[in-house]
Amino acid sequence: MEQSTTYLGLIPVFPLLGAVVIGLLHVFTSTRWKLSEKLYGLIACVGPVLSFVLALKVFFALKALPPGSRFLTHNAFTWFSVGDLHVNMGFLADPLSCLMLFFVTLIGTLIHIYSIGYMGGDKNYGKFFAYMNLFLGSMLILVLGDGPVVMFVGWEGVGLCSYLLIGYYNEDRSNGLAGNKAFIVNRIGDLGFILGMAFLFWAVGAQGFDYLSLKANVHMMTPAIALTVCLLLFVGATGKSAQIPLYVWLPDAMAGPTPVSALIHAATMVTAGVYMVARFSFLYAQVELAGTIVAWVGILTALLAAVFAMYQDDIKKILAYSTVSQLGYMFAGVGVAAYSAGIFHVFTHAFFKALLFLGAGSVIYALHHQQNIWKMGGLKTKMRTTYITMVIGALALAGCPPFSGFFSKDEILYNALASGHWGIWSIGVLVAGMTAYYTFRMIFVVFHGEPRDQHAFEHAQESPAVMTIPLIILAIGAALVGFLNFPGVLTISHWLEPSLTEVHHSSTFLQILAIVASIVAFAVGVKIAYDKFGQAAQEPEFKGFADFAYNKFYVDELYNTVFVQPYKAIGTAIWKTIEPNVTDSPVRGAAKLYMVLGAAFKVLQVGYVRVYAIYMVVGLSLMSFFLSQSLN
Amino acid sequence: MLVNLLFYTFAVLAVLGAVGLIFFRHPMNGAMCFVGTLICLAGLYALLSAKLIFALQLIVYAGAIMSLIVFIIMFLNIQPEDLPKEETKLFYIIGGVVLVSPVALFLGKIINTLPNLRVDFVGGDFGGVKPVGLILFKDWLVPFEIVSILLLISLVGAVVLAGKKGMSK
Amino acid sequence: MIHNYLFLSIILFCLGIVGVVSRRNFFAVFMSIELMLNAGNLAFIAFSRIHVSMDGHVLAMMVMAVAAAEAALALAVVILLHKHKGKLDTNVFSLLKG
Repeated sequence: MEQSTTYLGLIPVFPLLGAVVIGLLHVFTSTRWKLSEKLYGLIACVGPVLSFVLALKVFFALKALPPGSRFLTHNAFTWFSVGDLHVNMGFLADPLSCLMLFFVTLIGTLIHIYSIGYMGGDKNYGKFFAYMNLFLGSMLILVLGDGPVVMFVGWEGVGLCSYLLIGYYNEDRSNGLAGNKAFIVNRIGDLGFILGMAFLFWAVGAQGFDYLSLKANVHMMTPAIALTVCLLLFVGATGKSAQIPLYVWLPDAMAGPTPVSALIHAATMVTAGVYMVARFSFLYAQVELAGTIVAWVGILTALLAAVFAMYQDDIKKILAYSTVSQLGYMFAGVGVAAYSAGIFHVFTHAFFKALLFLGAGSVIYALHHQQNIWKMGGLKTKMRTTYITMVIGALALAGCPPFSGFFSKDEILYNALASGHWGIWSIGVLVAGMTAYYTFRMIFVVFHGEPRDQHAFEHAQESPAVMTIPLIILAIGAALVGFLNFPGVLTISHWLEPSLTEVHHSSTFLQILAIVASIVAFAVGVKIAYDKFGQAAQEPEFKGFADFAYNKFYVDELYNTVFVQPYKAIGTAIWKTIEPNVTDSPVRGAAKLYMVLGAAFKVLQVGYVRVYAIYMVVGLSLMSFFLSQSLN
Repeated sequence: MLVNLLFYTFAVLAVLGAVGLIFFRHPMNGAMCFVGTLICLAGLYALLSAKLIFALQLIVYAGAIMSLIVFIIMFLNIQPEDLPKEETKLFYIIGGVVLVSPVALFLGKIINTLPNLRVDFVGGDFGGVKPVGLILFKDWLVPFEIVSILLLISLVGAVVLAGKKGMSK
Repeated sequence: MIHNYLFLSIILFCLGIVGVVSRRNFFAVFMSIELMLNAGNLAFIAFSRIHVSMDGHVLAMMVMAVAAAEAALALAVVILLHKHKGKLDTNVFSLLKG
């Protein structure tokens, strides 16, 4: 029995309202008199906090319901109704969306508080928070949507906010171009998503186009159609969640401010693709081939991105490629039908990746916007809180027990092994080792050893409390949330059961094998990193394969030559030749036609009244000629 | 018999007068031809038992309006060199006849649909002063009043226009 | 026969149109217009004779009155135009040329 609850609709409304209020305040006051930054900060945090409170309320309401009917719905209004397609602006809260809701609002609130400190002194302070609130509202619409269409509204909204926030420092043209790249690559993925939605509607959508109806009717789809829909929807996910081949926007997106990278490109927006696959688990469960393709694309992306991360020298780029790699893990998880494992990795990754990004932001802030790790060093004595929290985050990312990353990554790898995907498992273990390596390479180079830039080192100091307290809270989360899904107890997997269609494996031997392999990979990775960078590392010269990897395998240049330049050439050709002749000349020709006709008729206006009288007589005679014909 | 002869005489003379009006170059000659036409028309009215109109045609049209026109022609002291050179007059006249013939044929066709009565004199007081007066002041009173206002307007207008000074050559 | 009167009226009317169209002398044009009015009068009287009704006579009188008023005004105008330009040619006045 579903329950209808109005407060469900309010969850996205609070941040959106905040966005409107801040936006209007910024637009009307930023040029004349400046409002206090504290005011903007306060208004900005109200929305996320209220949404978090309501998320908790949703959680408790769902807990009170029996597992079989654990969902709440709310239909705000009927958006449109065309033929067989009825789309409501409706919201659905079931265990899956409740989990997503919880960490999105929590981490969103913490990052908003952090941004109050980080963005201090910026002249477009209000604009930043307006965009952040707008983003949070869109993400909540995405998560709470009760059907693919409402999800797509949120999907597009977060894409827009990503573009706005990446290009936030708009005096620098390259930031705007990075924003363009993100938006355009996303759009390519969105085309796949829209086609997938269209096919889905065509196949089974006539009886209702929301998740619950689709789940009930999914058995009516033929396997071929189901496979097509799954793959098309996954194309959308590759765009939004930066998998091969559409991952190229995420490293460039680091041009935005660090809180943006933390919130959007680590914790929330990029996980929308994984959420989408989990949401459609009933569909992916119909066709095993689709899941296998998803899993292989995911794990290969993880491998590729880990290789890149091992050679980068910009601290944010390392974390960006790390995000792409971990997203690959998540897709590997949902691809092998371990949906709850994938979502659990989303959950833990949100905590430790946001923590790492905010920590990196703290370092960047302290060193006056220096982002090259080969110009940092020895900061562990000067920035203790940042150091400790970042080490906790790094341990979680690398998969060290008992931190959260270990449990979630291990769950994915175990499920890959147990469902027979040996290839995916072995690549996964290799990537785990590489993850440990590049993470601790970063930690050792930035915090250990001697400072490489003495001047910046002198001026570095720990960040203010408004920035370190979110770091501490996230560190506690990164350390402890792993226990929510302890192998064997599996609280979160049980919680998510009503929303997902998955099989559970239980083989103790494979469980232990997976755990041992993960721990060995972690240890090997950290050892190699310590050997190379633990003591007084210097910036290396890259040759051969290392140089190739440092330049990201020249993938961006390849895309540019194969896709971008021909497209631009076509556009230029159309502009120069087709447009003037095909579209402009009929318009100009029409105007010219009237001028010519006018000049022709001008001849008749002679100015002599006698001639006008002759015209009248001509008319009279013609008229009587015709009338006399009819008189016959 | 006599009536027919009179009709044809009057008709031919009227048409000849109209043709003369069109062809003569000096307006004085044209005016004289036109006066002839008007007098013949008066005769035709008499043949149609329109006694009062016959008299009014001679008094008002041929007597007042035409004399006014002739007076103005003579007042303006038109010399042959003042007259416009109309070389293409014949060409235009023939063109006009061609243009106008469909109109004439059409109207002729309409007339043919009416019954062809004999034109005898109507006895009694038909067409006399008394019946006209009676009808004028009973059924046609309002048009009568409006026409009198029209004549007043034209009187005032003519006085204003003719007295205008200051229009230089 | 009454048709003869009506045919005569048509002939005079068409001759009046030809005169208006083909002459450049102002007086000729004006008198052609008067000719057309008279042709109309003849038609009125003829029809009034057909129906033995006095309405045609009264209308003919109205036409005559209007023709008189028009004659007065037209002649006043021609005097003004003659003062202005010194010519009687209707082609001289072509300010309406487009």
